[in-house]
Amino acid sequence: MKTLFTSVYAWVDERLGLEEIQAFARKKRVPLHAQSFWYYWGGISLFFFIMQAVTGVLLMVYYRPGPDAYESVRQITYDMNFGWLIRSTHSWSANLMLGAVFIHMFSVYFMKAYRQPREFGWWSGLALLILATVFGFSGYLLPMDDLAYFATKVGLEVPASAPVIGPLIAKLVRGGTEVGAHTVQRFYTLHVVILPALFIPILMFHLWLVQKHGNAVPPAEENKPVAQRRSIPFFPNFVIKDVAVWLIALNVLAVLAAIFPWDLGPQADALRPAPKGIHPEWYFMSQFQVLKVMGDWMRGTLGEVVGVLLFTGGMVAWFLVPLYDPNKSSGRKARQATYFGLAVLAVLIITTIWGYAAL
Amino acid sequence: MNYPFWDVPHIGSGWVIGLIAIFHVMISHFAVGGGLYLPLTEHKALREGRKDWLEILRKHAKFFLVLTGVFGAVSGVGIWFAIGLTHPEGTSALIHNFVFGWAMEWVFFMLELTTAAVYYYTWGRIPNQLHLKIGYFYAFTSFFTLFIINGILTFMLFPGKPWLEVAGTGQEASRFWQAFFNPTFWPSLGLRCMACVSLAGVWALLSCSRINGDDQPQLKTSMVRWSAKWLLPSFLTLPLFFGWYLWEVPESQRALLQLGISTISSGVFSQLTRASFIVMSSSIVVVAVVYLFAWRSPRDLAIPHAIGVLFLALCATGSTEYAREMLRKPYVIGGYMYSNGVRKTAVAKNNENGYLATTPWIAKTTPELENMARGEAMFRGQCMSCHTRDSYRSMTRLLAGRNRETIGNLLKILHEYALESPYRKFMPPLVGTPAEIDSLADYLTVISQAPEPEAKPKLAAAPKEAKPN
Repeated sequence: MKTLFTSVYAWVDERLGLEEIQAFARKKRVPLHAQSFWYYWGGISLFFFIMQAVTGVLLMVYYRPGPDAYESVRQITYDMNFGWLIRSTHSWSANLMLGAVFIHMFSVYFMKAYRQPREFGWWSGLALLILATVFGFSGYLLPMDDLAYFATKVGLEVPASAPVIGPLIAKLVRGGTEVGAHTVQRFYTLHVVILPALFIPILMFHLWLVQKHGNAVPPAEENKPVAQRRSIPFFPNFVIKDVAVWLIALNVLAVLAAIFPWDLGPQADALRPAPKGIHPEWYFMSQFQVLKVMGDWMRGTLGEVVGVLLFTGGMVAWFLVPLYDPNKSSGRKARQATYFGLAVLAVLIITTIWGYAAL
Repeated sequence: MNYPFWDVPHIGSGWVIGLIAIFHVMISHFAVGGGLYLPLTEHKALREGRKDWLEILRKHAKFFLVLTGVFGAVSGVGIWFAIGLTHPEGTSALIHNFVFGWAMEWVFFMLELTTAAVYYYTWGRIPNQLHLKIGYFYAFTSFFTLFIINGILTFMLFPGKPWLEVAGTGQEASRFWQAFFNPTFWPSLGLRCMACVSLAGVWALLSCSRINGDDQPQLKTSMVRWSAKWLLPSFLTLPLFFGWYLWEVPESQRALLQLGISTISSGVFSQLTRASFIVMSSSIVVVAVVYLFAWRSPRDLAIPHAIGVLFLALCATGSTEYAREMLRKPYVIGGYMYSNGVRKTAVAKNNENGYLATTPWIAKTTPELENMARGEAMFRGQCMSCHTRDSYRSMTRLLAGRNRETIGNLLKILHEYALESPYRKFMPPLVGTPAEIDSLADYLTVISQAPEPEAKPKLAAAPKEAKPN
């Protein structure tokens, strides 16, 4: 058996150069320090994305976009063998992926891993986060149950409120003046074709940058003499640990999917009043609450416009941080960037909790 | 009428027991497995002349003493408080049948606690061989606490035919040993022993993760690998014990694994099946993760890694305990007492004379309750040990969209308890007179409508003078 494996390996190695890849992986090293724990979150995000892709393909086998959307999800949930598990895994891994991406983003931010030469890593990561939230928004409507329908309807009112082009964009996305079967088909196309076509190349670019520049170390570690810095080989040491962390993530996903299966509400009915406490998914709750508060404070559409501007301004500042704090020095700009990060984190947490408390 | 039907907001009283029990099992099983780990490891260290091992072991023994002696003991007592409040009838039945069992368990428990303290405080102060003997004596006493409590827990799943033949006749004590060594006793003991051994390894990894791998690479590698090996016996034997256990479980309970009731559990599988799925996945993953974290990279094992392993062990033990609880449905004591506290033999009497007139928890001197209060009393007595009004297993959610008529029909199905009824697999029979069941239907109709706060109907409470007999 061993001889057969060795022969097959040698045959593949001769053609693809497996030894070279292994030698390269062994040479690559991962820093080891008190904050090494945060290095795993990029991998965890990737793991949940892979789970999304696998379960998404399985759901596509039975899902029927358009007027049959609800019925097909009902069949997947209640009639197909293990359909409930696949659907539940898909939904939970979407939420866990976004949670992991947020943790990854803030850990990168506070480790100052956006600084030169990693600016493109930061920007591509933010692009992935934005696309991931659009994945979430577009996927939320697909079951076409009551909650999905009304949440999407409310969600689409945000772009519709933008001046001049807002109504046009909203109409284009909806496929008409109201959310309906056409909207489902558009969202489905967005969810399974357009977004993956954008997401996967950016993800590859992001991973290539990580590979090119290696793992960043936090400023405290950077100040140590090189001789005092510790590291482990990427292969097999770090890979083994990464696999173990992925297994833990898999188990968390299994626990959530099995113990709290994703619900399917009653079929959407445009003529019925919206259910009480309608709200967006947790990753949009902060924006939702800010818009709500601004709307209460200011009359007419002014509140919404100010809210949108506030968030847009914050996002632009967040995006441009590598240009403001580019160097390894820990001067005034570095401190201000850290304070800004803490403020953003605090605002996100407080407004999200506030949003849920106000439901 | 708050007591004994304990109104715990959000999670329900059942989960109070559940949370304490899961926490307790993690520690109490460590108390048994760790009881073997400590003297065996000490034995090995003495035989091989490993003084550095002994120093780590001494620290581990201190951690062991504090964790098991304080948190283990307190949470164990907490379970009894919680079950007494949540399920007084079931607790009463256990006390009446197993009072001598508990007396024996307490003897071993006191010996266990004392020996654990003696073992730690005599470290390095008495001859090594005597110290080892104390360690082995601790292992013996802690094993017997498990042995006895295992008899009581498996009795609750299925007491066995000999005991059921005399149940309710006053002759139950004559079949004590048959009830104790019931059909699932031995496979369950095997399962628990293997869990204990695994948890000994898992908790030991937490202690070992604190060793500095750079300063003491050889020590850390050897101790981490020794502790990791403690997961191997259970990995190899658990499937066998689990198969044996399922073989001995009554067919009616085993069928729950294949059951799917969408109105009771979301999706097409029962909660029991889904919990069993977690048991399997967590048990496999914990071994794989220990292999990758501890066996392959022992020097790099850090506290977060060990906590990750502990979390997986918590998933495995928590879901096992949950599955074991669910396997008892619709009984709280298999074949004898339903999960709503009604004895199987008392169903006809309750239907004829009325549940509220028969239950000991309403004073016979209580004036006749008005309709809503009667419905609420029925809800507290027969539903609340498993359901809450609007949180866990929420009646508001389960009955949403139903009107008074459909709720009445559902209660009729539960009352008639026909052999072919799918609810029969999980739910106990609803007992009481037609008037009592009508009151319950009225009450459930009101609470399931989720009214506006300002329009919230005033749910009548039982008169203040109502006291348990």
